[in-house]
Amino acid sequence: MSDFLQLVFQGLGIGAIYALVSLGFVLLIRAANVVNFAQGEFSMLGAYLLVVFFNLLGLPYLLGMLLSIVIMAGFGLVFAYTTYWPLRFRGGLPVIISTIGASIFLQNMVLWIYGPSSTPIDGLFASDGIQVGQVFLASQYLAIIVIATVLVLLQYLIFEKTLLGKRLQATSQDKEMASLLGIPVVLMVMITFAYSSSLGGLAGMLVAPILFVSVNMAGIITLKAFAANIIGGYGSIPGAILGGLALGITETLGAAYISVPYKDAFAFLLVLGFLMVRPQGLFGEKIAEKA
Amino acid sequence: MLITRRTALLSGAAVSSLAVIGRARAQDTMKIGVVSPLTGAVAEPGRIQLNSMRLAAEKVNGAGGVLGRQIELIVEDDQSSNPGAVLAFSRLAERKEIVGFIGSIRSTQMNAMAPDMLKVAKPVMFGGTDPTLTKLGNPWLFRCRPNDSYSGRVIVDFCTKTLKLSKVALVHSTDAFGTGGKNAIIANLDKLDLKAALVQGYTNNQSDFSPVVLAVKQSGADVIVSYFTNEPDCAVFARQLRQLGVRIPWVGSPSIMSPVTRGLAKNALYGTYAVGDFVEDSNPTAKAFADAYRARYKESPDSGWTYDGLTILAKAINDAKSTEPDKIRAAILAIKKFPGTEGEYNFDQFGDGLHGYNVVINNDGNIEYKQHIEFTD
Repeated sequence: MSDFLQLVFQGLGIGAIYALVSLGFVLLIRAANVVNFAQGEFSMLGAYLLVVFFNLLGLPYLLGMLLSIVIMAGFGLVFAYTTYWPLRFRGGLPVIISTIGASIFLQNMVLWIYGPSSTPIDGLFASDGIQVGQVFLASQYLAIIVIATVLVLLQYLIFEKTLLGKRLQATSQDKEMASLLGIPVVLMVMITFAYSSSLGGLAGMLVAPILFVSVNMAGIITLKAFAANIIGGYGSIPGAILGGLALGITETLGAAYISVPYKDAFAFLLVLGFLMVRPQGLFGEKIAEKA
Repeated sequence: MLITRRTALLSGAAVSSLAVIGRARAQDTMKIGVVSPLTGAVAEPGRIQLNSMRLAAEKVNGAGGVLGRQIELIVEDDQSSNPGAVLAFSRLAERKEIVGFIGSIRSTQMNAMAPDMLKVAKPVMFGGTDPTLTKLGNPWLFRCRPNDSYSGRVIVDFCTKTLKLSKVALVHSTDAFGTGGKNAIIANLDKLDLKAALVQGYTNNQSDFSPVVLAVKQSGADVIVSYFTNEPDCAVFARQLRQLGVRIPWVGSPSIMSPVTRGLAKNALYGTYAVGDFVEDSNPTAKAFADAYRARYKESPDSGWTYDGLTILAKAINDAKSTEPDKIRAAILAIKKFPGTEGEYNFDQFGDGLHGYNVVINNDGNIEYKQHIEFTD
């Protein structure tokens, strides 16, 4: 039983990571209708910024995180201006391809600056974790679970309960109509990119002490986060978090009780199952209704 | 300035003379072709390998050179890729004055270049550890590192005879390297009528190893044996192993002791054992080489096979008293009990120079030599 609980905790921890990255996807999908394939690179850049501030410049950890988040917000604006803005009237596909190009560019830029080796970085807490009975709760996983929960609540409140959130959603659904209603569409889109970039960077900073900082650190996680998005419901905030957690727990238990080498396959089998039985995901709208 | 016909003629003659002298000097050197990663993902270890060769060349040249001529390295960049290696070797192959080559530490690159090496028919000293490379029917390949079949054998020998532990939990990558290692461990356990308590594969680039760690815990094993391909995977596993309270001894393939893995995992790897080909304290030649390297390049070397390769090639040419490929080949195969940085070289009929591994221990972050296990059969 203790092993089972241990696995569930690990699954929740890794699932919370997927959920965090998935939230970044959801934001851009909801507010700007953009599927951003450079979302993983946002995480990677955030982690490298923390390496610069904490490992190299010796700034306090939390200050380093804060500065990284601010810089990532600025980076999000640059990203929007260069990757999204010139193609905003050309439909979804050119923007997707543009984000794939940006992803390749960012990876190679970081590879050129930092090289291919991984870099270790300390976690938020000095202690590795706490032992509760037979179950070990790793502190960084606990931090990720707590921060992910807070961010989900925050994001839900922003989108559903504030005027800003409603403006963001209106911008996503129909930019022309939103503009006619006096919503500053450009500002809304830029805010979304800045927030999404910061969120991706934060996810990278939280994952970095577990997976280390490298060019490829976010590769498989980004894929899983996108899968979580499909499971939870395309563009759904509660769906992103539940999809991420479901994915994390499924693959961890599947690996432990069925097969470790097929661990990644369990995650994608779950996605396939959803696509066949409930393509709109847990919380998603049916495409016909949305149209 | 007025240039007279006489001045022009004199200048032309002088330039021609210099060119002739230059050509004569160039022909005077003994040229060794080198395929090395100067750019790309493995340029960093490539730099150390090239520096090691330069040290070896200086030593040989200082002792009178090869057949009275100074060694000159002709280096081509393999760009850290298989196509790059093939291109680099083809450029070297065009230069007929090259008498022998230093190849790659990467088995896949050696496999890619091997057909061209067979056509060129000159000795190639290399470091790739895929056991099949010396069984390709290519008589020109000479290995200066122990091949992978010895790592599994040494690990099992060390576990059962030195540590007296035989309930093995085997954790391995499911890629070609990890699967080859797994097969070697199982084959060597079979010879002792032992069966692994756990054989657990994983795919590379994992974010969580807790299912593997719990499987090790439940297996009742008294020693972990591992073949990790990627350093971050090894470090994530090591940390989770310690966090989840597994404290049994751990003997790993060389990647567990790499500076990158140790830098990532830190104290999670303290007390673990590994097999390794180049260990500074394992023999006087390795120690002298490492000291000389540090004095020159202000850093410690992490391998010595290129130093050995060039030294052995030079010795073979001197022993053969000829640059004819067949005679050099025969001289290399005749080399026995030659003290190299990677161990004592005894070339067998296939071209394998080394037949054992060193075992080291990670003592609070420092790599300490434990013992050398050599096989003669």
